[in-house]
Amino acid sequence: MTTMAINLWQQARLQTAIWISLAAVLFAILVGLVLVASMGVPLTDAISAFAEGAWGSPYAIAASVNRALALGLVGVGFVLANRANLTNVGGEGQIALGGIAATAMSLYGGASHLPGPLPFIVPMIAAALAGGAWGGIAGVLKAKVGTNEVISTLLMSFIAVWLVYWCVQSESLLRQPMHNTATLPESLEIPEVTKIPLLTGDYSMPLHWGLPIALVLAVIVAIVLDKTVFGLRLRAVGLNPVAARRAGIAIVPSILLVLFLAGALGGLAGAFMLQGDQYSLKARFSSGYGFDGLVVGLLARGSVPGVIASALLFGFLRSGGINMELAAGIPSAIVMVIQGVIIVTLAGAAFWMERKRSGK
Amino acid sequence: MQLADPVEMGTSSNSGTPATAAADVSKLQPLLSLRGMSKRFGSLQALSDVSVEIATGEIHCLLGENGAGKSTLCNLIFGVYKPDDGSMQFGGQDYRPAGPAAALTQGIAMVHQHFSLVPDLSVVDNLLLGQARGILKRAECAQRVRQLSEHYGLALDPFARIRDLSVGERQRVEIVKCLMREPRLLVLDEPTAVLLPAEIEGLLTVCQRVAAQGCGVVLVTHKLAEIKKVAHRVTVLRGGRVVATSNKPANEIDLLVRAMIQRDLAGLDASASAMFGELAEEADAGSAATTEKIDDEIVQINGLTVRDAEGVARLDNFTLIVNRGEIVGIAGVEGNGQSELAAVLSGMLTASDGRFFVASKNMTNRSPQEITATGVGVVPEDRHAVACVTGMSLAENLFLNRLDDFRHWGLLDRTALRDKARALMQEFDVRAAGPDIAFSSLSGGNQQKAVLGRELTTQGLVFLLAAQPTRGLDVGAVEAVYGQIRKACERGVGVLLISSELDELISIADRIVVLYRGRIMGHCVAHASERERIGAMMAGHVE
Repeated sequence: MTTMAINLWQQARLQTAIWISLAAVLFAILVGLVLVASMGVPLTDAISAFAEGAWGSPYAIAASVNRALALGLVGVGFVLANRANLTNVGGEGQIALGGIAATAMSLYGGASHLPGPLPFIVPMIAAALAGGAWGGIAGVLKAKVGTNEVISTLLMSFIAVWLVYWCVQSESLLRQPMHNTATLPESLEIPEVTKIPLLTGDYSMPLHWGLPIALVLAVIVAIVLDKTVFGLRLRAVGLNPVAARRAGIAIVPSILLVLFLAGALGGLAGAFMLQGDQYSLKARFSSGYGFDGLVVGLLARGSVPGVIASALLFGFLRSGGINMELAAGIPSAIVMVIQGVIIVTLAGAAFWMERKRSGK
Repeated sequence: MQLADPVEMGTSSNSGTPATAAADVSKLQPLLSLRGMSKRFGSLQALSDVSVEIATGEIHCLLGENGAGKSTLCNLIFGVYKPDDGSMQFGGQDYRPAGPAAALTQGIAMVHQHFSLVPDLSVVDNLLLGQARGILKRAECAQRVRQLSEHYGLALDPFARIRDLSVGERQRVEIVKCLMREPRLLVLDEPTAVLLPAEIEGLLTVCQRVAAQGCGVVLVTHKLAEIKKVAHRVTVLRGGRVVATSNKPANEIDLLVRAMIQRDLAGLDASASAMFGELAEEADAGSAATTEKIDDEIVQINGLTVRDAEGVARLDNFTLIVNRGEIVGIAGVEGNGQSELAAVLSGMLTASDGRFFVASKNMTNRSPQEITATGVGVVPEDRHAVACVTGMSLAENLFLNRLDDFRHWGLLDRTALRDKARALMQEFDVRAAGPDIAFSSLSGGNQQKAVLGRELTTQGLVFLLAAQPTRGLDVGAVEAVYGQIRKACERGVGVLLISSELDELISIADRIVVLYRGRIMGHCVAHASERERIGAMMAGHVE
């Protein structure tokens, strides 16, 4: 979706936007079903496999929600930066950095020896700082030399993704000790105390403490954006940086801070994925959560409740898609197609609304 | 003259002898006829049932206040918008342009209020953009530009980069762009707003020559002097309707004004009527007390210099003192250093050399925040780019520079913001449905009153810098803006007023400083008798 389409989409009226979103999602699912049917798989098989994977059991629901957590955090970060008219597309890299930092801190940073809940909290903080730094670099580039943050955050993502490969390939970094040639290129499993505790204490429904933490953060961001002077200033910076500067608003610190915070949320998403779900750092650690999170942010149209809704949607879509592949033999890439169709439909709808409005 | 009766237009005999309208318009051949044109934007009926006829060789002026529908009408003619209703005939045939390109092919060219030039390209390259195919014939095009420049008195360097040109010069490029197409109808949307008196003369001459060649000219303006000088016919718009037409406008100026603003010119503030180019005889009344306002310096500007990236001095060794309770006017054609002066004084641009003091404090190269804190209010030249955030609400814009006043337990106190905004709206007569309305939905006049209200209520205000504060405003708003500036002045605030409207400056300022190519050309008292002298200095003539 181009920047122009993003802007058009964000200006649409709330009610209109909700209807259009729903219509776009339904249309995309329809396209997905048509594709499934054209592969010769009975629709009932596909749908039941999808439902089974998405919400068929307490475990499935928890897995979907955990996916939504990572997507939502990246989405909230996107919305935050977007308020200052900054488009952070670096969620993937920020997640990767967060994963590396959380792994390092859990395994070798001494976090496991800390008292109380600190063993799992300290790696989370480290992950947020690492992701924040990664986003902050883009902020410095933007503020000092005017590098477009879309370019810098995107390219920094590729660097970060390959940093993960390097970390898990190299024994002097995070790779587990090699005993034989079959030792997988991944880190050791992190100590039990550094794993994020489950809410229920029962692995049949692995919802963990990341859920309430993420919700609290989302509420805080929503309040900061909509109810504080800082949020209003960010909006002024985003809408008209020159006028904001004339009005005495400090532009450079705003850009730095907001990209740092967006990155920190991405880093935290990485920590949640590692400490709450995967427990060891693997080469394909993030596999697209950052980019999907960006889509979640776009779909939310600058609203935090919108992020929560679309993160859940995408979380369930992903889980269902994976099970469709396992159970019904349908490539899970179909979910990607559905996501793509949603975006294209929304962009088209935004352009169409704009044309109608301008009376051309 | 027929009030609200446009249908009969052209049938009355031409009994009067307008100063310049040599041709008997009733005998001219109709070139473009509009019948019952209507256009609606959302809930705004921009035009309703407008019928106008433009003849070959005619200069047809569209007169009206801001928001009267003049620009919309021009855009309908040029094919930018499609009419909701009505029909057009051009050269005797049905005319339904699919877009500006179609209008151009048929021989209608338009100079817009906002220019469409690529800043990084040269004049010639910009001219070639729309027309050239294959190999660029730059030399040929430059030659053509020189011919046209010479013929019409539109001084222009064909190889200058647009970025380096002033607003006035850019407009000349736009006009040349149109003339190169040898149009049958030339539409000019408020072309004189950015020009210097001598240039306005030049442009009016251009219009006359173009018309003399049989081309129709639609000239949008609100300056009566221009109408007197060149108009063959005038159509007055108000609220999207034709409220009056005149075949002998030079004799009916008073009627036209009454139709346009529903008031008599005689009852207007002198500086407001100056905006129509009608300079009242006693317009210098405000400058009577000049000599007594000395020895109370509030702003000292000492050798202020701004160089651009190429090292050219855009503002050169500018030295000036502004006293309390005094209005100092900066006259000059746009692009002669006024923007740089305003930008440096408001902290938006770094001075290369020199210093300035506000209330004895050195404020050179301080941040906008610090400058505001010293008691400096700024009404920037470019309202949309610098003064306000159009995407935010009126209340948010009214307090954009002091949002911290509304911090309550860490949150933004919206109720207090709204209440204070209502008070300010009342005080400065900002007419809007409410404080939460989008700033962009306000008329230009109300937007400017809001900006002025914000800046004039700056904590501890001692100095107001106002750059082109009345540009694009209707007469009521102009009166309000100058009334507020005078009031501040009476409170002892020093005012530096930058304007390209010389008549306005003469009527409101105490003294005038003329800028030319970044240098001060001279100082004058603001008196009508100095008009010629100032005009000469604006054009670079040393005394």
